[in-house]
Amino acid sequence: MKHKRRLGLLAAALTLGTSSFAQAQAPESPDPIRIAVNEWTGQILSATIAGEVLKKMGYNVELVIAGALPQLAAIEQGELDFNPEVWDNSVTDAYTNGLASGSIIAAGPLGLEPREGWIYPAYMEELCPGLPSYKALYDCAMAFGTAETFPNGRLVGYPADWGTRDIDVVKAIGMPFNVVPGGSEGAMLAELKSAIAAKEPILMMFWEPHWIFAEQDLRFVEWNPIDGECIEETQVKETACGFAQAEAQKIYSDDFAAKYPAAAAMIAKFTLKNADQNAMILEVDQKGRSVEELAAEWMTKNEAVWSTWIQ
Amino acid sequence: MAEPSKAQTSDRKSLLIWILVLLSVLVLAQWQSSLPDLKSYPAAWTLPATDWLNTGMDWVVGAFKPVFRALSAVMEYPLFWVSGFLGWLPWSVGTVIAVIIGYRAGAWPLAAFTGGSILYILLMGLWPDTMNSLALVAVSVPLAVLLGFGLGVAGYYSPRVERFLTPVMDITQTVPAFAYLLPILILFGFGPVVGLIAGIIFAFPPMVKNTIIGLRDVPSDIIESGLMSGATKGQLFFLVRARAGLRQILLGVNQTTMAALNMIIVASIIGGSEDIGWRVLSTLRKAEFGESLVAGIVIALMAMVLDRITYGLATRAPDMSPQQGFFGRHQFGLTVMGAAALTYLAALGLPDLQTWPDDWTVDPAGGLNFGIEVFVLWAKPVLDSVKNFIIFTLVLPLKIGLVNVVGPYTWGFTATVWHAVGYAALVAAGSGLAFWRGRRGQAITIVSFGLIMFFGLTNLTWPGASLLLIWFGFRSGGARLAFWTLAALVFILSTGSYDKAILSVQLCGLAVAASFLIGTGLGIAAAQSDPFSRILRPINDTLQTMPVFVLLIPVIMIFKIGEFSALLAIIAYAVVAPIRYTEYGLRNVSKDVIEAATSMGATRSQLLWRVKVPLAMPNIMLGLNQAIMFGISMLVVTALVGTDELGQIIYIGLSKGNFGIGFVAGMAMAVIALLADQYCRAWQKRIDAKLKGARP
Repeated sequence: MKHKRRLGLLAAALTLGTSSFAQAQAPESPDPIRIAVNEWTGQILSATIAGEVLKKMGYNVELVIAGALPQLAAIEQGELDFNPEVWDNSVTDAYTNGLASGSIIAAGPLGLEPREGWIYPAYMEELCPGLPSYKALYDCAMAFGTAETFPNGRLVGYPADWGTRDIDVVKAIGMPFNVVPGGSEGAMLAELKSAIAAKEPILMMFWEPHWIFAEQDLRFVEWNPIDGECIEETQVKETACGFAQAEAQKIYSDDFAAKYPAAAAMIAKFTLKNADQNAMILEVDQKGRSVEELAAEWMTKNEAVWSTWIQ
Repeated sequence: MAEPSKAQTSDRKSLLIWILVLLSVLVLAQWQSSLPDLKSYPAAWTLPATDWLNTGMDWVVGAFKPVFRALSAVMEYPLFWVSGFLGWLPWSVGTVIAVIIGYRAGAWPLAAFTGGSILYILLMGLWPDTMNSLALVAVSVPLAVLLGFGLGVAGYYSPRVERFLTPVMDITQTVPAFAYLLPILILFGFGPVVGLIAGIIFAFPPMVKNTIIGLRDVPSDIIESGLMSGATKGQLFFLVRARAGLRQILLGVNQTTMAALNMIIVASIIGGSEDIGWRVLSTLRKAEFGESLVAGIVIALMAMVLDRITYGLATRAPDMSPQQGFFGRHQFGLTVMGAAALTYLAALGLPDLQTWPDDWTVDPAGGLNFGIEVFVLWAKPVLDSVKNFIIFTLVLPLKIGLVNVVGPYTWGFTATVWHAVGYAALVAAGSGLAFWRGRRGQAITIVSFGLIMFFGLTNLTWPGASLLLIWFGFRSGGARLAFWTLAALVFILSTGSYDKAILSVQLCGLAVAASFLIGTGLGIAAAQSDPFSRILRPINDTLQTMPVFVLLIPVIMIFKIGEFSALLAIIAYAVVAPIRYTEYGLRNVSKDVIEAATSMGATRSQLLWRVKVPLAMPNIMLGLNQAIMFGISMLVVTALVGTDELGQIIYIGLSKGNFGIGFVAGMAMAVIALLADQYCRAWQKRIDAKLKGARP
């Protein structure tokens, strides 16, 4: 986790340094800039908005649908150019190795403030009165238990291929919980939705921003405040800090900044806010409006913001 | 049969060895706590297979990447043109063409079914997505067919080629595409072509198999008459042999099409186009059951329509005899072209005929979501207790053993030594009874099963499990099968896959056993009753063609993330093969035999159990074989509901960007599948031998 962060910052600093030297006129090339579009609404919005801004600069832009993992191989190979929103918690060794080898360039954080940790539906506070403090979980593990996990509680963790952070934390602070790997985001949401519908107990590792928070009353387990970064594996019960928090990174391919210096300079400045994205996600996912429509709306509302990026 | 005395001594010897093997399994399982290396294979003894594979792949990538890139660039052209054409095609023209082809392949019923399916797609507003998926299928199927036909012809002429092809095809069909996704991504580059390649790799084997069978089974008198009329070698092949085997070869086309459709979802995970698979995936990610069901049904409908059409064209092919000549075919082509042209002209005037208007679409997803929620709330309490019962009595004991499962919370009491003694006595009594009745095989099975349930598969220790399997292999298939079992075990142990492999076997074994029992039962019922068969058929088709992911949402909503949901998912997918093969086998028992049996006064149940079922045994066993293959191929899907087995390792390999890890796990899955197949064959041989012995 920590390494990823450091590498990202380092790479971001490097790109910022180089791009300020190149003051070429946009567009440097008529070749379309290929932006990766992933399967969740927040990222689609970020990609579309970034594309719109690039279009204002005169670039040709192509939005390409790409799986979260294959896109990294594609960016390494230079077949995709840019992704404005890559979560450095859900990505993997392929990402870290790409950054380390220099075939993927990190262009700094997107500005969204994510939160990761354990969530529960509001009604669980009646069954386990000490919540939201993590300390309450030691005494009411059984309230979260099932027949299979008896006498421990049941915690639905991240899918196994997202790493073992939740298992590490449970072990480090000696929680009486069995961690069940979540399998996939769809499976986790299906279980969460049905548990809420039936008012059943549930504790799940999850992340924000996510549209589910707009739909359901979900709360995060709270930890001891900490100065600096939380070190997940070595924390202890009394001073547990939970999870190190992730960031959404902007990344592009290694020859991108050389080919499109002005675009790279814009991307370095490109940022979005939690509130912006949450509101737009809600419009798209719950009210059925199109991403393009909302991106256009954002462009007109925020002209003052993006016009400073493209100078 | 040899002389009885000799047989008796060999029987006695084998019984002795059985007792020794089972005793050592028992002792090893008891001792494992003092020797941790017994439970899981020591990591220090594994081979660095992962590193070798990665090095090998790096070399291949370095050496051949330009070649593959060039190939990829070439393949992009047909995909570009086909998807461009299908994207341009007005829906009305596409519908007219499809319905006419449907009529040609299966008269009015199929024309109506085709039209109805298209209407569904249009009403759901999914026409453009469907065309993108269809483009992928339309390009990958001909390429897979060409490749498969070429390899099939080579395999037909050279037994050596066939011997080489058989295991290769088994591997391409059992190793999940995700296991070799990384190398094809790097070799072929990012984009829809990768999905195309994955589709071809998965879809060509049935074409090879059917081509070989088709060419081989041409009756020799047809060939002779060809020879006598002075055909040259080329004529003999294309005009006589290939034509006579055409029906089988076209069935290969049909099977290849179905396999290519199965890959739509996988192709979407790679990404590259906005197609139906992508829609299913992105709605599944949000756990939107209604939306994903609506899109999943499109894939099922596409599969069914293409299946009926290719099957219809395949089975009517022999009628296209030379007498009908070119005129007949020409007329059909002209009809299609004429109708398409007329519709196109009409569409030029009416824009609504070009693009289906949004106002004409409906969205049942909200209703479906509401419905499933109501159902889940209603069904959960009842089904929860069923689930717990099955988990405590079957799933968990098989996994970790009764010795670890029985407790106050699960079984309502604390296990004592006396319970263990009672259990042992029960097993001994059952086995003794079977032995006393002269059924040694049964007696041994009862003891083995009793032992496994007591300790659990994961606690059998790897030397114990290996010993048991090898000896079992020797008893069922002789030295050959014992050797293959050993080879498979060496692979699984030395690559460090044993722990996950045993969990995979536990999950799949249980699911396949259930699928086989349920499927054979339903198949027998369907063979006895035509109405039941008619009800079952569309259900079977849907289960097999709809992306299984879609069914997982309601299953998880009721049964939660975990093993039980995974079991149900595997059963839902694997149950279809036994149903189909059993019904097919029973319905195809020779009429003469049935008449003979009836005339001898056999009752209906005697006819079924004494005549039909034994005669249909080869097909029923084929159903078991297919259930095993499907079951193992589902491990990649069940990993998405949080099971901890080989499928999970494939995703971990993918997320680490480490080809070796995933490929080793994929190969381990293939090894298990192939070994299970060998056991099925051995079993089948014994049944055949018994049947032959019974009917002199």
